[in-house]
Amino acid sequence: MGDTVVEPAPLKPTSEPTSGPPGNNGGSLLSVITEGVGELSVIDPEVAQKACQEVLEKVKLLHGGMAVSSRGTPLELVNGDGVDSEIRCLDDPPAQIREEEDEMGAAVASGTAKGARRRRQNNSAKQSWLLRLFESKLFDISMAISYLYNSKEPGVQAYIGNRLFCFRNEDVDFYLPQLLNMYIHMDEDVGDAIKPYIVHRCRQSINFSLQCALLLGAYSSDMHISTQRHSRGTKLRKLILSDELKPAHRKRELPSLSPAPDTGLSPSKRTHQRSKSDATASISLSSNLKRTASNPKVENEDEELSSSTESIDNSFSSPVRLAPEREFIKSLMAIGKRLATLPTKEQKTQRLISELSLLNHKLPARVWLPTAGFDHHVVRVPHTQAVVLNSKDKAPYLIYVEVLECENFDTTSVPARIPENRIRSTRSVENLPECGITHEQRAGSFSTVPNYDNDDEAWSVDDIGELQVELPEVHTNSCDNISQFSVDSITSQESKEPVFIAAGDIRRRLSEQLAHTPTAFKRDPEDPSAVALKEPWQEKVRRIREGSPYGHLPNWRLLSVIVKCGDDLRQELLAFQVLKQLQSIWEQERVPLWIKPYKILVISADSGMIEPVVNAVSIHQVKKQSQLSLLDYFLQEHGSYTTEAFLSAQRNFVQSCAGYCLVCYLLQVKDRHNGNILLDAEGHIIHIDFGFILSSSPRNLGFETSAFKLTTEFVDVMGGLDGDMFNYYKMLMLQGLIAARKHMDKVVQIVEIMQQGSQLPCFHGSSTIRNLKERFHMSMTEEQLQLLVEQMVDGSMRSITTKLYDGFQYLTNGIM
Amino acid sequence: MAQVEKRGGLLRKSSASKKPLKEKVVLMYDEIFMTEDPSKCSPRFWEELFLMKVNLEYLEGKLESLDGEELMKIKDNINCLFQHCIQALGEDHPIRVVNALQTLCALIRGVHQKNKSTSGFDIINMLMGFDKAELCMKNLMESLDSLLCAEGSESLKSLCLKLLLCLVTVTDNISQNTILEYVMINSIFEAILQILSHPPSRREHGYDAVVLLALLVNYRKYESVNPYIVKLSIVDDEATLNGMGLVIAQALSEYNRQYKDKEEEHQSGFFSALTNMVGSMFIADAHEKISVQTNEAILLALYEAVHLNRNFITVLAQSHPEMGLVTSPVSPAPTTPVTPLGTTPPSSDDEHRLHSGKLCLIILTCIAEDQYANAFLHDDNMNFRVNLHRMPMRHRKKAADKNLPCRPLVCAVLDLMVEFIVTHMMKEFPMDLYIRCIQVVHKLLCYQKKCRVRLHYTWRELWSALINLLKFLMSNETVLLAKHNIFTLALMIVNLFNMFITYGDTFLPTPSSYDELYYEIIRMHQSFDNLYSMVLRLSTNAGQWKEAASKVTHALVNIRAIINHFNPKIESYAAVNHISQLSEEQVLEVVRANYDTLTLKLQDGLDQYERYSEQHKEAAFFKELVRSISTNVRRNLAFHTLSQEVLLKEFSTIS
Repeated sequence: MGDTVVEPAPLKPTSEPTSGPPGNNGGSLLSVITEGVGELSVIDPEVAQKACQEVLEKVKLLHGGMAVSSRGTPLELVNGDGVDSEIRCLDDPPAQIREEEDEMGAAVASGTAKGARRRRQNNSAKQSWLLRLFESKLFDISMAISYLYNSKEPGVQAYIGNRLFCFRNEDVDFYLPQLLNMYIHMDEDVGDAIKPYIVHRCRQSINFSLQCALLLGAYSSDMHISTQRHSRGTKLRKLILSDELKPAHRKRELPSLSPAPDTGLSPSKRTHQRSKSDATASISLSSNLKRTASNPKVENEDEELSSSTESIDNSFSSPVRLAPEREFIKSLMAIGKRLATLPTKEQKTQRLISELSLLNHKLPARVWLPTAGFDHHVVRVPHTQAVVLNSKDKAPYLIYVEVLECENFDTTSVPARIPENRIRSTRSVENLPECGITHEQRAGSFSTVPNYDNDDEAWSVDDIGELQVELPEVHTNSCDNISQFSVDSITSQESKEPVFIAAGDIRRRLSEQLAHTPTAFKRDPEDPSAVALKEPWQEKVRRIREGSPYGHLPNWRLLSVIVKCGDDLRQELLAFQVLKQLQSIWEQERVPLWIKPYKILVISADSGMIEPVVNAVSIHQVKKQSQLSLLDYFLQEHGSYTTEAFLSAQRNFVQSCAGYCLVCYLLQVKDRHNGNILLDAEGHIIHIDFGFILSSSPRNLGFETSAFKLTTEFVDVMGGLDGDMFNYYKMLMLQGLIAARKHMDKVVQIVEIMQQGSQLPCFHGSSTIRNLKERFHMSMTEEQLQLLVEQMVDGSMRSITTKLYDGFQYLTNGIM
Repeated sequence: MAQVEKRGGLLRKSSASKKPLKEKVVLMYDEIFMTEDPSKCSPRFWEELFLMKVNLEYLEGKLESLDGEELMKIKDNINCLFQHCIQALGEDHPIRVVNALQTLCALIRGVHQKNKSTSGFDIINMLMGFDKAELCMKNLMESLDSLLCAEGSESLKSLCLKLLLCLVTVTDNISQNTILEYVMINSIFEAILQILSHPPSRREHGYDAVVLLALLVNYRKYESVNPYIVKLSIVDDEATLNGMGLVIAQALSEYNRQYKDKEEEHQSGFFSALTNMVGSMFIADAHEKISVQTNEAILLALYEAVHLNRNFITVLAQSHPEMGLVTSPVSPAPTTPVTPLGTTPPSSDDEHRLHSGKLCLIILTCIAEDQYANAFLHDDNMNFRVNLHRMPMRHRKKAADKNLPCRPLVCAVLDLMVEFIVTHMMKEFPMDLYIRCIQVVHKLLCYQKKCRVRLHYTWRELWSALINLLKFLMSNETVLLAKHNIFTLALMIVNLFNMFITYGDTFLPTPSSYDELYYEIIRMHQSFDNLYSMVLRLSTNAGQWKEAASKVTHALVNIRAIINHFNPKIESYAAVNHISQLSEEQVLEVVRANYDTLTLKLQDGLDQYERYSEQHKEAAFFKELVRSISTNVRRNLAFHTLSQEVLLKEFSTIS
């Protein structure tokens, strides 16, 4: 596999120096393109891809050696049919470009006056090649973003702006941070090109609107207050938040099917009309909040969510779409802020639980978790399950959120509230209704007591009544037949024969039952999250579902989210994107490296949410709780060396380790202590906390000079330095690096665009991008790369600094 | 009549010499006390009257001084006054409303104080007249309802509540207060709920509202359909229930705090800070209120809420931590319903203390029977530090409370029960409380067994407390038997042990805790032997305790089997190894080695219990309790309704 992957890569460095100035190669370029495109239908994808790469190389040169690059991906090729139809729907814009080319013989022209002003003369032939590229099946979103960023041509930018409509939503969504960062920080042409698309998508999706608004806010925050561009980002943000962009036509299906012309319109020109479903939904929300049969006068205790919905009720034109969600996010952040003021974990946990129980009173509402991948309404936060995470001075916390999945967030109405105590009942007044009105006076001179709610449910018998007449069947959770026995004691009442049991049996059952319970972590008030995270996700879902008043609904789902307050998650988002990109590269190149990018929601420059990795606890927690070495822990959890379970866990460990070692090396991830590395139930490791990447490192102590973290404990799990698995590990790293190198530009592009206008510490200094590119070692041969990997592994193994850093972390933060 | 009037005037003169002249209002009152219609000569009489500052003392005193017949003579005028008061309630000017409310207070109290012997119907007739009573009261209740629910002055609302409290507590026995029949028909339940659900109004009036509700619920509780009971039992609005829980929690924590202050004497900065904070919110204008008696009222409210409304239990679980939120950032140990009991001093034979203690145990009984409450108590995720007040005793130092572990709430409940058991073994043996206490433990164990909750609790403390209690019962056999059936209690204790012995596998935390149970039984075998010989003795001779004692004999079968099985083994172990005194570890070793040869008998019904029922068993207690609460609320009211200077100032500046 490695062989096939490597080939194209070494070609590049050699082709670069030989190529001359752009103009001279015009003719040959054309032929290359025709070749490449012509062959497409006949040759296999691999060859096509190579050809395509060459084309792009040339195109790059054509732009004066700019650091552009994009490549067709086989992924896109697989989707060839889709692209075809998409391009067809684009008839308008390309036609426009063609016409102008013909008439003016000049560069592309978008319709805008601004574009015209900044228009440059260009070679028409060159443009048409570009056009052919743009129209080719190879042109994917990654290339589009690249051209949008690198091209100085307003026409090209406008074209790509239009072209965005043809890509699948999910594909574009991945680059949303890049698009918006360009919108904020680059010149107006880029902005003008992007805006229609953004506006269009905002109209369609409330979640997209929210993400845009949040990202625009977060990425504008690094700017000086007074710049004009600043107001440009904030203007769009305001527009989105003002709710002008409510869905235009609710019934419209996918955006790719919607005609492009729609987007040319400025959103403000739209007549402002409130869609009916929105209105009714908001009403149902507020009536939910106030619903109570017993005391209709009662208004909701607290302000935030209810007040916003209250105002919705009163004035039908006020912002509604995003208001409840923003309030929801605001309350979550406010909780985080308040938690931070408390000194101990224990107090924080208690406070968190009580705060969430109050929040629960306002749910269900028209709110959702943006990290989820499906439409839903949040109905309940099981507050007792929430935990405060380990952090020194901030108070990130993990909450579980019960949601009801729905087909379409906008059209589905908010689920009705089911009280926490749905199954509860009254007991002491069972006989009240039968009591009847005995008092003569009552019957005579007084009117009868007004009808009180006499619904059957409220009078049902309490569930604990089972205790009185206990049936053996009730105990579905008893572990075995023998222990059933002790439960059956009541039935022995009928037979007056005395029943005898052996004391030894009781004792034995006790120890057996305790032995059978899975290895749960012990509760530690200083580390409340350990227990919560150790519990298998499926089990947790089942447990919470059982205890939830909404649990019986078929569309009930459990989500979890980490709320971070006071942390800048923009770097995390960047890391997520890079990881995601690497993941898809490795998948595409069939390198079995395993990494787990976790979703990030940037809320502002100092707050956000993280999708937690389920079934995973930090290595620190593992070691502290088990008091075992990592290898022994593996043996305990998965079985002895030769078992299937252990071997697959070991393989998972190796694959994830190799993946993350590469990630750590490429992104220069620092602060790698055991609290930041998770271990999941299948043996994978997962690195979290990308607070120090690229050019930033913690406290600049010069610690962690090694390429990545590889401790002897890790190597032990892999079976030692001479083991097959360790060799496999190194081979995986090599393959992964080669694959990543092949697609370097796709990775670099993500980082590079985000550097624009950013003050993030990871972009500190001027050489961030250059250094990043250098770490891909484009000029090395495969043998050299192999040597490099060996060196890095050796260096990390020998690295005393890793050990030092762990010691340092232990001393300062108590992380093992 | 005129003489009486003069006397009144003279009295005033002599007693309060700074006011030699009669106030205008007093003169007007005097006119009302004539048989003539006061508005005859001055048509604007009633309008003027409500502009005058009310002289409650005079009005009340005057009414008191009249006997039934004299009152009947001026009945028309009093009816008129009552009606005009109600009319004035609807007016815009707050001064009139205030004066009308106060006048109503005085009227109701005055008429009642004099007419204790007369029936409720006479009083209704006296105040309103039979024919108009229904309409009158309807108007009154409607006015009060709208005043309470309106966005008006807080002091006005407070006065409305005072009037209602006044109305509810005019008789010692609330069920004899016939006027309340109208309060039943014209429900102000919703208004009370609204006060509780609204944070600002809850802060101001929550206490009064909760006490009022608790009292109203107790009106003819066992005889008729009380709509307040019905309504309270089906309230499911979380905000309201939460508000109620908060009020109760605050009152209780305030009580605890005061107790602690008293206990510790020295007031640190922290405490005074907390006092100010809590004080300004909760007791506002009524420092007098806090006493053991008001505590009873709030406990009664808690009881009614827990007992009647089972949604409340879900809130009970939530509102505790929130307590900390509201009071101060330095959140004190979460108040639980259990803490008041912890403060019951063991030596006190004060009736009120016993009342409170009993009520607390009843509340705990209700909680221990509730599935949801149990789930909350046992929830591993919800940990609390509960600071129990432990009385310093001869044999133990005052425990340092600083390093309390954070545990599920049920541990605190069990601790409290253990604490109660060890501290109340006294001559005046509170048998009833002990039985309730053991019942609470039993119910908790039943839940744990049923749901297989393995609580990490040091059961040993409970076992040794129970054994000590048995010892106490035996050593005071003669004294106690004269008053109580000690066998019921003994049987319950022995059956608790039987729970552990036969069902220990379902809820004990570790195998070694099962060993420890055996160790403890073997170690204290003397006590069980003595108990056995005692019950054997009493069950063989045909005394009154024959049956009760023989039940205990049967219950002891497993414990005796354990003792008889292991003791010889331990002795032989000692003999073989030549050790005179075996260490705990050695005994445990013997125990572990010899389980298999021991056979136990499975006893019936260990994990079943009789459910708590108020109506049949506790009615007398609650009647008495409500009576004492009524008296106290009334006594406290007298002082506060009279001093509404603040209120008048507020309105005079507005107008």
